[in-house]
Amino acid sequence: MNPDLFILWAAAIATLGVYTILYRENPISRLFEHIFVGLSAGYLLATTWTLNLEGKWWNPMIQDKKWYWIFAPIVGLLFYFIYSRRLGWLARLVMGLFFGAAAGTFFRQFFPIFSPQIYACFKPLGPQPGMSVEGFVFEVILHHWIFVVILLTVLSYFFFSVSHEGRFGRGLGRSALLGRWFLMIAFGAMFGNTVMARISLFIGRIRFLLFDWLGSLIPWFAQRGL
Amino acid sequence: MAIDYPKALSDRIQQIPRHFIYLLLFGVVVWQLLAPIRMPIVPSHPSQGVYDAIAAVPDDKIIIITTDWDASTQAETGPQTQAMIHACFQNHKKFAIMNLQPPMGVKLANDLAQEAAEEYGAVYGEDWCNWGYKYGYENVLMSMAKNIPNAIGKDFYGTPVEQLPMMEGVESVKEVGLVCIVTGLSAMTEMWIGLIQGPYNIPVASAYTAVMAPIYYPYLDSGQLQGMLVGAKGAAELESVVARPGKAVAIMNVQSWAHVLIILLIILGNVGFIFARRARQP
Repeated sequence: MNPDLFILWAAAIATLGVYTILYRENPISRLFEHIFVGLSAGYLLATTWTLNLEGKWWNPMIQDKKWYWIFAPIVGLLFYFIYSRRLGWLARLVMGLFFGAAAGTFFRQFFPIFSPQIYACFKPLGPQPGMSVEGFVFEVILHHWIFVVILLTVLSYFFFSVSHEGRFGRGLGRSALLGRWFLMIAFGAMFGNTVMARISLFIGRIRFLLFDWLGSLIPWFAQRGL
Repeated sequence: MAIDYPKALSDRIQQIPRHFIYLLLFGVVVWQLLAPIRMPIVPSHPSQGVYDAIAAVPDDKIIIITTDWDASTQAETGPQTQAMIHACFQNHKKFAIMNLQPPMGVKLANDLAQEAAEEYGAVYGEDWCNWGYKYGYENVLMSMAKNIPNAIGKDFYGTPVEQLPMMEGVESVKEVGLVCIVTGLSAMTEMWIGLIQGPYNIPVASAYTAVMAPIYYPYLDSGQLQGMLVGAKGAAELESVVARPGKAVAIMNVQSWAHVLIILLIILGNVGFIFARRARQP
């Protein structure tokens, strides 16, 4: 059998099999779910060796005679001492090493990631020299003012140190309520994007079923996909 | 066992069986795939920004397209990568594909680049290359910042990258004019911005699945990202900018009609809710 045709049919049957879950929970969808999990695990295992360990550890150690690479798995295996009460400190030693390296790397990334976003929050709220009326309305009022109002009200929602009583507290409460509404709108937009993403994936599979799989049987479908 | 169906129309509207909704959605998708009614696609500012960033790369610098995606998000990230590759070829910019995770992305992107390269008559190693999958996340980027040939080693086909003609003179990230991140994974952007864009002032443009895009708008507003493609919509917009309507435009058209159906169903459910509440009021 032509391997491409086999792959095409296997992909089509797997897609249809997984989609049977839309009717209800059934052994066919479970079967393909397990096949997928098994394939993923096998793929991960194979790529871990071929793309990582073989080139970066095994070949340097065996072919290039860099004998000191033998210590790498020994250090890695120290993690398993977590199960020993007496020698657990060995596991903590390597964990500390990893935590330290990760914290250091993140600390290095922190300021380049967040500083520009904090600076970007300080937007001019008045007319700028040489700015047209149109620019003032669309850029300053519609963009900067809305941004700053939303920023402050949302921040006030997360300000829990003052009770919403008294003159200041009530004002803060109203601001926090407005902030909560803005958050809800943002979550709605995010959920809308999630729906869009899921439908894109669904369309991708239907395109495959119609144009590639059915198209291999009935050329009319393949022509529609061009 | 007999199912107790609601009798009032307002209740029935609110309890449309989910199988019926699935069938409706399937019907709309198939209808629009086979007999599309086209909707206009207007490039948004973030999508145009991606194209402008690619076009603005100096000729003596290369573009890195990092394809951190796999088959699970291919419907969105595949067309995004393809549109970026077309934008590079159209503007005669040299680019290198690479990825940090998952390994499959680099193979899928390689197929897309090969297909486009044939069309533009581009030559592997001279106009584009594939650095392959590189394991090590932050370590790879920190190493690349100082010495790209050392950090990358061999390309996708096993050739040392310093032997590729387009890599002549490419020593560190200083010779990189733009990083295009196409990803279905979070944290990739943070890594590139934290270790490459911020410290070395290398422009970054990105493409995300629609699910993850909202959290990256602040990066766009702060200027850390030059442009951004949001899901299939962003890919369709870039396809229309490069005048190459392809898979994303087709998907987006179907998607727009699917959205119309979903909006109608939401309205219908709310109308049912309002009428049911009125009916229950004394």
